[in-house]
Amino acid sequence: MLLDLPVIEKGSFYFIKDGNTALILEDKTKRGLEIKETSEDETLKVKADKGMIHDMDGIGHWVPIRWYFSKDSYDLSSVLVHANAMEKKYTELRELTCPQDDD
Amino acid sequence: MSYAHPEVLVDTEWLSQNPPNESRKLVEVDYDPVNGYQKGHINGASLIWWKRDINDPVTRDIISKKEFEALMSKNGITADTEVILYGDFNNWFAAFVFWVFKIYGHENLKIMNGGRKKWELENRDYTTDEPQISPSQYIGQPPDEGLRAYLFDVSRGIGKEDTVMVDVRSPAEFSGQITAPPEYPMEHAQRGGHIPDANNIPWATAVNDADGTFKGVEELKQNYEQKGVTPDKDVICYCRIGERSSHSWFVLKYLLGYPKVRNYDGSWTEWGNMIGNPVEK
Repeated sequence: MLLDLPVIEKGSFYFIKDGNTALILEDKTKRGLEIKETSEDETLKVKADKGMIHDMDGIGHWVPIRWYFSKDSYDLSSVLVHANAMEKKYTELRELTCPQDDD
Repeated sequence: MSYAHPEVLVDTEWLSQNPPNESRKLVEVDYDPVNGYQKGHINGASLIWWKRDINDPVTRDIISKKEFEALMSKNGITADTEVILYGDFNNWFAAFVFWVFKIYGHENLKIMNGGRKKWELENRDYTTDEPQISPSQYIGQPPDEGLRAYLFDVSRGIGKEDTVMVDVRSPAEFSGQITAPPEYPMEHAQRGGHIPDANNIPWATAVNDADGTFKGVEELKQNYEQKGVTPDKDVICYCRIGERSSHSWFVLKYLLGYPKVRNYDGSWTEWGNMIGNPVEK
């Protein structure tokens, strides 16, 4: 079970879990989204569980829920590069929608 | 025992033997036309896109009579045309459009039982060719407001013995555990739960899970009557945005023949966002 896997790194918006053969990067903002297919993510070129989110017009868009980085090809530091990029993207989005009051 | 109005349904086999022509139009109704109609549709079908074509672009409302007439003209439909609707998401949006057609008085109207789901399960053909349509002249009827419930009607119905509310959402939405599934991030409400005294009878209890077709009369009767949703009541159906509830509205009004059924299309995104509305969990 993915839920039972040990978490080896976490941020505000991600978990990195230790699978048998892969380091699994999970997008926390996609929690609860139904997995509709598992296929290669075109951006990161690794296997990913994908779901679909509908926009205001009702158009469905495929979104990755978690990525499987093979331990043969990736170590934790290389997965963290992607995790930090995701963290930065969501932090910037949060700042746009709910800016922190610095006063 | 057959449905109260069997004439409102056609099956996939019938449609494959009776393709659209000058007097019979086939219309696919999609929530998501990019992943539906545009990838492939039944030969001869035109498209009604729920978001763009059947809703007012500014105010949250269905299109006006004039806009409905223009939509019919664009689809080559006249007041006498036999129209067959089908679509994605288990015909939820086809049922919503059926409801709007009835509001503006279109008589000869049917739904293809099972929608895209059944057509695809049977490995029937799709095309990406769009039909050539000559615009028609369409004169609609004044809106039949007896088919629609507004916030006021729902507020007034609470606590009345002769009114019954049917909440057709999932049990998790009904109990307030979630306000919308994560795949619909634009359709949440500020409060979770349901309208006081509403009965939770999910839309899916009216269909056969295997192919999306409607269940038989006896099963449908049992489904609703044992929860007090009986033909002697004023029935109001609602869901999150009014499409799943139009599916249940169709079942109660046309398959079971209940005389007074209304669709509350404001649904939970209206009720659960209004200040001061009573909510039960």
